[in-house]
Amino acid sequence: MKVIKEAIAGTLESSDVLVKVAPTEKGTREVVLRSEVIKQFGEQIKQVVTDALDKLSVSAGSIVIEDKGALDCVIRARVQAAVLRGCSSEELDWRRLS
Amino acid sequence: MNAIDEFSTISPNDSPNVMVVVRKLLGTNNLELDNQVEAFVVCRRDGRVVACAGLDHNTIKCVAVAEQFRGESLSLRLGSETVKLAAERSQFHLFLYSPPHNLPFFRGWSFYPLVEVPQLVVLMENSPIAIQAYCDGLREQRRQGSKIGGIVLNANPFTLGHQCLVEEAARACDWLHVFVVREDASLFSYADRLALVAAGVKHLDRVSLHPGSDYIISRATFPGYFLKDDALVDHSWAAIDLLLFREYIAPALGITHRYVGTEPFDPVTGNYNKDMEHWLQHAASAAPAITVIEVPRVSVRGIPVSASQVRRLLTRRDFDAIRDLVPASTLQFLEQKFSAAHNVTEEVGNQ
Amino acid sequence: MKLRRSMLFVPGDNAAMLSTSFVYKPDSIMFDLEDAVSPREKDSARLLVFQALQHAAYRDVETVVRVNSLDSEFGLKDLEVAVRGGADVVRLPKTENAQAIGELEAHVVRIERACGRPVGVTKIMAAIESASGVVNAVSIAIASPRMIAIALAGFDYLVDMRTKRSNGWQPELFYARAAVLHAARAARIDAFDVVYGNISDDAGFLREVKIAKRLGFNGKSLIHPKQVELLHKAYAPTEEEVSHARRVIAAAEDAHRKGLGVVSLDGKMIDPPVIEEAEMALQLAEAS
Repeated sequence: MKVIKEAIAGTLESSDVLVKVAPTEKGTREVVLRSEVIKQFGEQIKQVVTDALDKLSVSAGSIVIEDKGALDCVIRARVQAAVLRGCSSEELDWRRLS
Repeated sequence: MNAIDEFSTISPNDSPNVMVVVRKLLGTNNLELDNQVEAFVVCRRDGRVVACAGLDHNTIKCVAVAEQFRGESLSLRLGSETVKLAAERSQFHLFLYSPPHNLPFFRGWSFYPLVEVPQLVVLMENSPIAIQAYCDGLREQRRQGSKIGGIVLNANPFTLGHQCLVEEAARACDWLHVFVVREDASLFSYADRLALVAAGVKHLDRVSLHPGSDYIISRATFPGYFLKDDALVDHSWAAIDLLLFREYIAPALGITHRYVGTEPFDPVTGNYNKDMEHWLQHAASAAPAITVIEVPRVSVRGIPVSASQVRRLLTRRDFDAIRDLVPASTLQFLEQKFSAAHNVTEEVGNQ
Repeated sequence: MKLRRSMLFVPGDNAAMLSTSFVYKPDSIMFDLEDAVSPREKDSARLLVFQALQHAAYRDVETVVRVNSLDSEFGLKDLEVAVRGGADVVRLPKTENAQAIGELEAHVVRIERACGRPVGVTKIMAAIESASGVVNAVSIAIASPRMIAIALAGFDYLVDMRTKRSNGWQPELFYARAAVLHAARAARIDAFDVVYGNISDDAGFLREVKIAKRLGFNGKSLIHPKQVELLHKAYAPTEEEVSHARRVIAAAEDAHRKGLGVVSLDGKMIDPPVIEEAEMALQLAEAS
């Protein structure tokens, strides 16, 4: 899957995360993480994001994560929502979302 | 979480009653209602308007939260709703102006500072990477040389005046970077203007033509440039645009000199030139100074050539007069486009 | 027996509440994909609820997902989330008749089969929000062996009845409460009373709780976490009731040990329903 248009999901509120996706010119996949808890949890959050993107086979897109202290399950859901919006994907493959 | 906040979107023109309250809220926050705002996010608590934020294309304006409700959750909710409203309007790359002391508030909205006019205003954008990515793209087009020039043109349309300016700058520099303003707020579309500039500088080597961007004379970074009423132009807005050029664009391309034509007619552009010298060359900044070279506007029959003059002649299809003021490529384009019964209405446009 | 006093509503797109609602220890948590979620956020909320359902924190609490009406463009997508996410219960809003439950159940069966969940694990409850729903309450309550509860939803119902909610003993809701409750009891399932919307008025909330408890409702649907504790306290048996219940249970155990067919306390014979009530009182006391 490739991100073909800009999209956002989530909010800026505490315990949530705002995920912004956009197409990349060079067709690469780039993840940028900003978090209030990046020192303690930066690696873990990156892992959750990478895992969610891999499961959806996202090969291209810029993914910017503005984390406000969200649980892993929230991060996963918001990344999925932003990517599915940015890929204009209507059909869900549930095995890829668990 | 005791009170229930209700968020709604209103259009200023359709909701005069709410706007009275919004205006009052802005007033108590020392803000004025900006007429460019197309939509407001309004938060009501127990029916009372306690917070608002406005959206003008890709710029967030008129953000106010009643003093007693400046808790974090309300402000973050306001930010989220505003960002969502923008997304619904297909605006994802957002800007806002903040007084320096409010910077932490908007950091909470995940906006990042770009440039600051000291003690006055900070321009912020909602991406931690956009400006860097843009500069990375520019850096790939960097050219060797000790004297690297830069010109920003609106070219509405491209005239002999523009062409002579580009030629003279190209002669004086090791390399010249030309940018075309991207905003579609002029008589001629961006695509047309870009094509006209491309055709008009084709004969020059050592010139790169760059597309415009949000960071160069855009509605977001220099709103005064696009306002119909010149009196509204604020110098600090020109400063923001010029500081972006000095601190990001020029260093990425190694630009040492900025060229600009003298402006005898248009007060907006005239002020811009004065501001340019100050902010690029003299003002204190971490970025190196850029020498501003003002090139006298080329004259035909004693009158300096200007794009506004060409637009005026176009309203009466006076192609004979236009012929003397524009390069052959521009003339051909104008004749093609306007020989039919198109009606040209004069609009305020610049350069 | 599953205690169902409190069913806490959690807006399906509210990350903060999804991350914390379990700490209030309601008996059931209802993730709402219907009214609390704006149409533009339905997709994101569905994914959030799907993830939350699988979170360890929700393993020990009964999870309910309120789906949109199956007639809407959202209903079936919501149902996929609820069933595949492993929700204990699907709550169908605005239930008008037994057919609506039958239709829902058919889809639940289909999705359970498709995702490999044992057929029958997903329970169903119906919210009754109209005059016709109240009239059909009995057939709705027995529409499926998956039915575990019915809930009365007051707001739409009162609009349908052309009246408004009052304070006091609320005669405008009496018939609906009684009808829904009778249907539930006849079907041997649970019954939830209406939501109390004014979250800053604890006294008004407790007044309604008192009515619901007096009538015999298992509990209420709740829209604010702080209502959980208020409700649990109000439903807690008094010390006197608890000590009486203890004595009833002790007498029953004693009779059982001695192999007696009849249980007696203080010289009076005790019927099985009294023992059942005592067990319930002790369970309530323990949970309060």
